[in-house]
Amino acid sequence: MLEKEKLRKADVYSGIVIFLFGAWVAWQASKMPMKDSWGGVQNVWFVSPALFPLFVGAMIMLLGLLLVRTALKAIGFKAFGDTLQWLFSRDLLQFLNTVSVLRFYAIAVLFLSLVYLYIPRIDFFLSAVLFLSVFITMFYFDEAELLKKLFFFYLAGTVFFIIYFAGRLDGLLDPVLPFAKDILALGFILAYCLYAWKLIRCNPLLRKKFRTGLIVAVAAPLVVGLFFKYFLLVPMPAEGMVVALLDAIWYFEF
Amino acid sequence: MMILDRIGTYFQMVFHLAADPFNILILFSSVLMGIIFGAMPGLTSTLGVALLTALTYGMDTPTAMLCLLSIYVGGTYGGSYASILINIPGTAASAATALDGYPLACKGEGGRAIGLTTTASAIGTIISMLFLVSISPLISFFALQFTSFEFFLLAFFGILISGTLTSPDLVIKGWIAGFLGLFLACVGRDQLQFFPRYTFGIPELDSGVEVVPVLIGAFGIPQIIQVLKDRFQIGETQKFQRILPEFGTIIRNIPRIIRSALIGVGIGSVPGIGEDIAAWVSYGTAKNTSKHPERFGKGEITAVLSTEVANNACVGGAMIPLLNLGIPGSPPAAMLLGALMLHGVTPGPMITFEHPTFIMEVAAILLLASLSMWVVGMLLAKQVVKVLRIPVQLFMPIIGILCIIGSYSLGINIWNLYLMLPVGIISYFLIEMGYPIAPLVIGVILGPMADENLRRALMVSQGSFLPIFTRPVSLILFLVIVWTVVSQFPTYRNFKNKLMDKVFRRKSCEVDVDIDGPEEG
Repeated sequence: MLEKEKLRKADVYSGIVIFLFGAWVAWQASKMPMKDSWGGVQNVWFVSPALFPLFVGAMIMLLGLLLVRTALKAIGFKAFGDTLQWLFSRDLLQFLNTVSVLRFYAIAVLFLSLVYLYIPRIDFFLSAVLFLSVFITMFYFDEAELLKKLFFFYLAGTVFFIIYFAGRLDGLLDPVLPFAKDILALGFILAYCLYAWKLIRCNPLLRKKFRTGLIVAVAAPLVVGLFFKYFLLVPMPAEGMVVALLDAIWYFEF
Repeated sequence: MMILDRIGTYFQMVFHLAADPFNILILFSSVLMGIIFGAMPGLTSTLGVALLTALTYGMDTPTAMLCLLSIYVGGTYGGSYASILINIPGTAASAATALDGYPLACKGEGGRAIGLTTTASAIGTIISMLFLVSISPLISFFALQFTSFEFFLLAFFGILISGTLTSPDLVIKGWIAGFLGLFLACVGRDQLQFFPRYTFGIPELDSGVEVVPVLIGAFGIPQIIQVLKDRFQIGETQKFQRILPEFGTIIRNIPRIIRSALIGVGIGSVPGIGEDIAAWVSYGTAKNTSKHPERFGKGEITAVLSTEVANNACVGGAMIPLLNLGIPGSPPAAMLLGALMLHGVTPGPMITFEHPTFIMEVAAILLLASLSMWVVGMLLAKQVVKVLRIPVQLFMPIIGILCIIGSYSLGINIWNLYLMLPVGIISYFLIEMGYPIAPLVIGVILGPMADENLRRALMVSQGSFLPIFTRPVSLILFLVIVWTVVSQFPTYRNFKNKLMDKVFRRKSCEVDVDIDGPEEG
């Protein structure tokens, strides 16, 4: 949680956002049938589907306003003006470049890319190994410079995959090469590992961490994935190269 | 006769559950897993229950409950390991334990402290289980008299009180979080007319927001981001010798144990607030009533005892409103509610009719879980604390993968992931800005109950709010809600202070007169 004074400054903005959100909730609710007919049934206000959302929206608006008022009362309009100035100054850029914020970006990008890009398209095991190997090495090395380099390498690879899928290149490559996207993902994992190794090879402590990290990154998805796939019989979100191989082993499909 | 019947049924349940070796295996492994989750700083019992819910999907309801309740009990207790040995609370519930547990470990009494917390936690759970069994029929009886107005007000009260008591900053933020949860509950087709609300033509949203992915997102993702972003480091573990059950200390402190258990059960049964608050209140009470308050914070054994009894007593306490009213008493209980719904059990006043032995079953599981927790704590504590050596950077990403596969496997729906992640990221920002997450979750869970009952009540009264004032329970709930809201405003507090000043000044004047009177006479 932020410090008290920063918190009050943030409250002004969060209060405004919440007020606007409440207004949107109420506005959307006002479009719902209030007294008109729906599905052949004439509505009355007290059974309308809009009743509860309208109440919720109005309450969110009210509480948002109260929050803004409380925060402004605590910090005064001058501090609010200063914060507004800060938002348009270079200090904001400096803040956005701090290591702590970079760590946040890294985690957010890792999760967003895994959930919206890799998991729905690439074999679960490969997606998970990629996610874990990048996540663990980035943070386990515990060096800001390494984190930055590894993050940008991962970002570049992710941008490549976005272009690959958005440009529908998978449709072109898949008929020619089976499991093309999985092979590409495997290539990305190997490239990332080689790059990370290149960066840390001179440091014995980091080399040890790298080895441990990779073992965990490969073992964890195998344990978790095998348990869900073969014991709980949960089909993986995307089943590709690795699942096909595991199926062959599990069901003796030779 | 009825009481004897109930006792008979209860012990039948205990023996039935304990007779199956598979159940015993599940019991011990779940308790152990819960202890590990509780012990590892950054992981919580709520997260443990949330992640394991996915694994229980294929199990029958009693086995699933055995698994989840054991994790809950183990997780609440496990937090004390990190508190005592590294001075970092494994869970918020054990934060108060660290104050005196760590100084004890520094004095070389870590083994004694862990032994005491193990026994105290088991006793706390057992006492709360007794309350669950004895109070439930009474609450259930009253709840059966409730109509839609009462249920709407009860749900609303649950969200408000949870927002009021869990907010780390301004109370308004707790309420905002609760209403945001209520908004999430509005998404999907409404229950009465099937009108699509906030679905934007997306068919996956028609069935509404799934509770479990929201819970996993709200509790799991912010935890991962916070721990890794703030470069959380686990300190060096204090050494400890043999672990003894400390029965002597327990017997000497029976009144303290009962008082702490009552605090735990009482706070646990208030919607949405959990073990952490129970532990702090119990700690405060123990200090205020102690003959040696100056020893607190320096390794006072009764402080450790009070906090651990209270936080584990909260488990049974949280089950009371959950099972009888369908209102979760704590965040892990909210998760349990989600799990129960997945298994087709709808907690509420009707539970005694639909599943007559269910509450007894839960009580039997709590007893078995507390006993196995004691056994595991006594025998394996030395091994379990080894997990404290695992760096957070190694296990947090794995928790991320578990959050993802856990959300997905419930319903085998990738849409759950698309929902879980934004909820998690928004929750992180909310936490950073001082908004509590428990009311949001409670809002998502109680939203459908509030919505449906409000409209049903108004339908019966033809749009009149008058029954709120004519029905005694409604009126009481309404007044409590009004008081909860009004008491948070400075105007009310100023008025109250002025009133108190006036009353007390007048009284003291009267006392002065009385005292002076005879002398003059």
